[in-house]
Amino acid sequence: MTGAGALLVASGISKQYGGIVALDHVDLAVGTGEAVGIVGPNGAGKTTLFNCLFGLEDPDEGTVVFGDRRIDRLPVWRRSRLGIGRTFQRMELFEGMTVADHLLVAEQAASGTVRVWRDFLHRGGPTPPELHHVEAVLDLLGLADLADRPVDALDLGHARLVELGRAMMGSPRLLMLDEPSSGLDVDDTARLGRILDETRRSTGVAVVLVEHDLSLVESTVDRLVVLNFGTVLATGGVAEVLADPEVRRAYLGTTA
Amino acid sequence: MTQFLDYAVPGVPFGCVFALMAVGLVLTYKASGVFNLAFGAQAFVSALAYVSLIQDDWPRWAAGVIAVLVIGPFVGVLLDRLLFRRIRTASPLVKLVPSLGLLVALPQVALIIAGAEPDIPPPAIVGNAQRVYLHLGSVPVSGLELSISAATVVVVGVLVVLFRFTPVGLEMRAVVESPRMTELAGVNAGRVSAFAWILSSIMAALAGVLLAPLYSQLDPQNFTVLLVWGVAGAVIGRFSSLPLALVGGLALGVGQQVFAGYLPAGVIANGLRPSLPFVVLLVFLPLARQRQLDDPLSVCDPPSSAVERSASGYRSAATVAAGDDAHSVGLWHRRLVGRDVDGAPGLLTRRPTATLAWAVGLVAIVSALTWVPPDWLSTMNQGVAFAIIFLSLTLLTGMSGQISLCQASFAGLGGFMAGQLANHVGLPVVLGMVAGGLLAAGLGVLVAIPTLRLAGLPLALATLAFALLADNILFPNSWIGNGAGGVTVPRPSAGPVSFAAAKPFFVLSLVVLAVTAGVVKLVGDGTMGRYLSAVRSSELAASASGVDVYRLRVLVFALSAGLAGVGGALYGSLEGSLSPDSFGYQISAVLLVVVAIVGLRSIAGAVVAGVVYATLQVAVTTLPSRFAGLVAVLFGLATLSYTRHPEGFLDYLGARTQHALARHRVARVDAHPPVAGPGPAPGPVVPAAPVGEGA
Repeated sequence: MTGAGALLVASGISKQYGGIVALDHVDLAVGTGEAVGIVGPNGAGKTTLFNCLFGLEDPDEGTVVFGDRRIDRLPVWRRSRLGIGRTFQRMELFEGMTVADHLLVAEQAASGTVRVWRDFLHRGGPTPPELHHVEAVLDLLGLADLADRPVDALDLGHARLVELGRAMMGSPRLLMLDEPSSGLDVDDTARLGRILDETRRSTGVAVVLVEHDLSLVESTVDRLVVLNFGTVLATGGVAEVLADPEVRRAYLGTTA
Repeated sequence: MTQFLDYAVPGVPFGCVFALMAVGLVLTYKASGVFNLAFGAQAFVSALAYVSLIQDDWPRWAAGVIAVLVIGPFVGVLLDRLLFRRIRTASPLVKLVPSLGLLVALPQVALIIAGAEPDIPPPAIVGNAQRVYLHLGSVPVSGLELSISAATVVVVGVLVVLFRFTPVGLEMRAVVESPRMTELAGVNAGRVSAFAWILSSIMAALAGVLLAPLYSQLDPQNFTVLLVWGVAGAVIGRFSSLPLALVGGLALGVGQQVFAGYLPAGVIANGLRPSLPFVVLLVFLPLARQRQLDDPLSVCDPPSSAVERSASGYRSAATVAAGDDAHSVGLWHRRLVGRDVDGAPGLLTRRPTATLAWAVGLVAIVSALTWVPPDWLSTMNQGVAFAIIFLSLTLLTGMSGQISLCQASFAGLGGFMAGQLANHVGLPVVLGMVAGGLLAAGLGVLVAIPTLRLAGLPLALATLAFALLADNILFPNSWIGNGAGGVTVPRPSAGPVSFAAAKPFFVLSLVVLAVTAGVVKLVGDGTMGRYLSAVRSSELAASASGVDVYRLRVLVFALSAGLAGVGGALYGSLEGSLSPDSFGYQISAVLLVVVAIVGLRSIAGAVVAGVVYATLQVAVTTLPSRFAGLVAVLFGLATLSYTRHPEGFLDYLGARTQHALARHRVARVDAHPPVAGPGPAPGPVVPAAPVGEGA
């Protein structure tokens, strides 16, 4: 998936911790509107790759291009404003804030138009378009009824949706989801899958999904990348990759 | 080389003492999660006990044994049991405030218990202090230096044996690596940590007893300085490595003497030496931060305790539910969407306590301008000036969660600048206050740029080090604080209106306070406040959402420094002159503790803290010294209570009142049901009995 349609192109990403090679010249390309799943056994380097793409860690080698810009030296918040939304494997919510506020903070921060002096003049409130966007995302996620609840009072399933919603603010072109189903039961996971589908249909956002729940992966992604020991083991259509004997040996633990 | 030895050898005893402090700090920090700034006070307590016992004709060795092996661990275990054990997993602020409070209060309490300050120069624990026992090259080594070095070598030897060859040493090493992992392996980490407390308290006590003879008099001040050097050593040890902390402490002790020796004598050398910790902290803190992440289980922290949760949120779920939801977009939301949300608190519900606060404030202002005697008015005015400085902490620590231990330095800087500009350039004082604020803000940016990559404890330590630097380099400068002479700050006047008299000046102060409070409130309720809330809970998620966390922090730090500067200038103008003593680094610590205890999360908290602080100051300076000590005891007790109510005294009181009112309302409804029949059985036939109540 290269050429005109490519949204995110990471090439030759390497990362070492001490003597341990976490990533060894990994290439990853995501097309506009494409959904790519990344799977692999624990310790394969999935989260490290995510962090390198998103700017939480600096790769030792390699480049990351988003749209037509090199982003591998940019800080996290710059990448976010360029149009990358991300969720975390371990929940990162803002304690005490309401659901709507979570989305509003993200919406305002993503636009980068907030100025401090406006606060001094009491003109720092959200604009109608910002509020409408918050409203739209709340409806899309089915969170409208919980909008004014503090997030601390939510169950895990809804809390994950709030994180997803926050990542969707500012109309990103790419969503990076790090194990969004972890800790969810079957119903919650199914709902998450439906919402992801709807989101992609209505916004055309591209998705990179790190996930262990194969049912969610199969229902969501167009293409699968298998990482093992910091290298790309296989890539291609979901069914085709999962049928690959080498993949089955490394990841699914079956000797086919 | 000889010259180097000349300078270096006298540094060794200092290095030994610093090293003991550093190792003790690291030991407790890793084993119990608390960076115990009260360590300096513990050292003082033992030193005091030691000297007092000798004055009562105890033999020196016996006094030393009692002070180091009995009193030291006793105080340590007491603090652990009463205080630190309860806050192991709390937020950095909740952990820091009690230890800061104890650092100030504990020496005073000890002085009260000891009865009187001993008036003999502290003797060395063994040997003849003055006698020269041997020469290193051409440098004479006195008994004092020899005994300190020997004691340190013995302690280090014991530690090495303990850690390498005993089971409890092995467990302690494991706890230092990862307390949680060790617990999972079936070791009682609590017991091990208690042992670590005893051990480190002995080290603090020994450091105190060894240090005492190096000065001619026992002064708590010296032990706070000792603490700062120990902190620098601990930072060299990256908060985690005992051998590195030991080496770091030694190197600092020798380094400071060599440093001072080679520099030309005078203000620069005298100032640079005490600011060495600042440089060390700046260089080593960023390294320390990375090392801290190494606990293999640090990614699966246990859920935060109730203490932490209630202290971490400027507007936690509870306060939102209590009807204070300025952070919520609720109202806009409903207006725009036309949908009402069930159970959401209405934006117009006012807290009854807020009304009460306004009423009290109004009465106070009217009284001040009518019948209150002049010295009371002056105290009230001081309260207003301090309230402005406290508001700067409300903004910085309360809203943004950054801990500053140099707020008094910024206040002093603002005050000095206002005075200097008025005296030398003839700038009107009101403009001077603004200029002082701007200058403090500018300096705030300079401090923020290298330090604000840090957060929590490292940031607090970096600001502490900056406060030291300000004390030793900036304030003695004749262009800034003018050393002991201080700076006069005239009362302002605007055209024909003079604010020289007490009442007009009080009104002016109130106006400045109102403006400051307005700024803080607007920032808190505005978009920036929402950003700050977000950053405080999860810096990661905030930056992932596009918030430029670093810029936001620098901005808030500068704004806060500026407000403190304005407050300092106002205070200077009130008093007529300022001396650097009014804004030393200890003052910063006291200010933070006071406002944290009263309430960091509201404007009312800052105002009340201002009044409390001004009153305390009056109490300490006018009461007989015996009662002044009691103030310290009270202060210490308030510090202890803080760990139970980290939301602050005011919020606690507010919540209590609200509960009481709610219960009262419920009780009233129960006692007089809206439609109650007079008969013994109200039953379902209520509409038939609307009698009785009206008559």
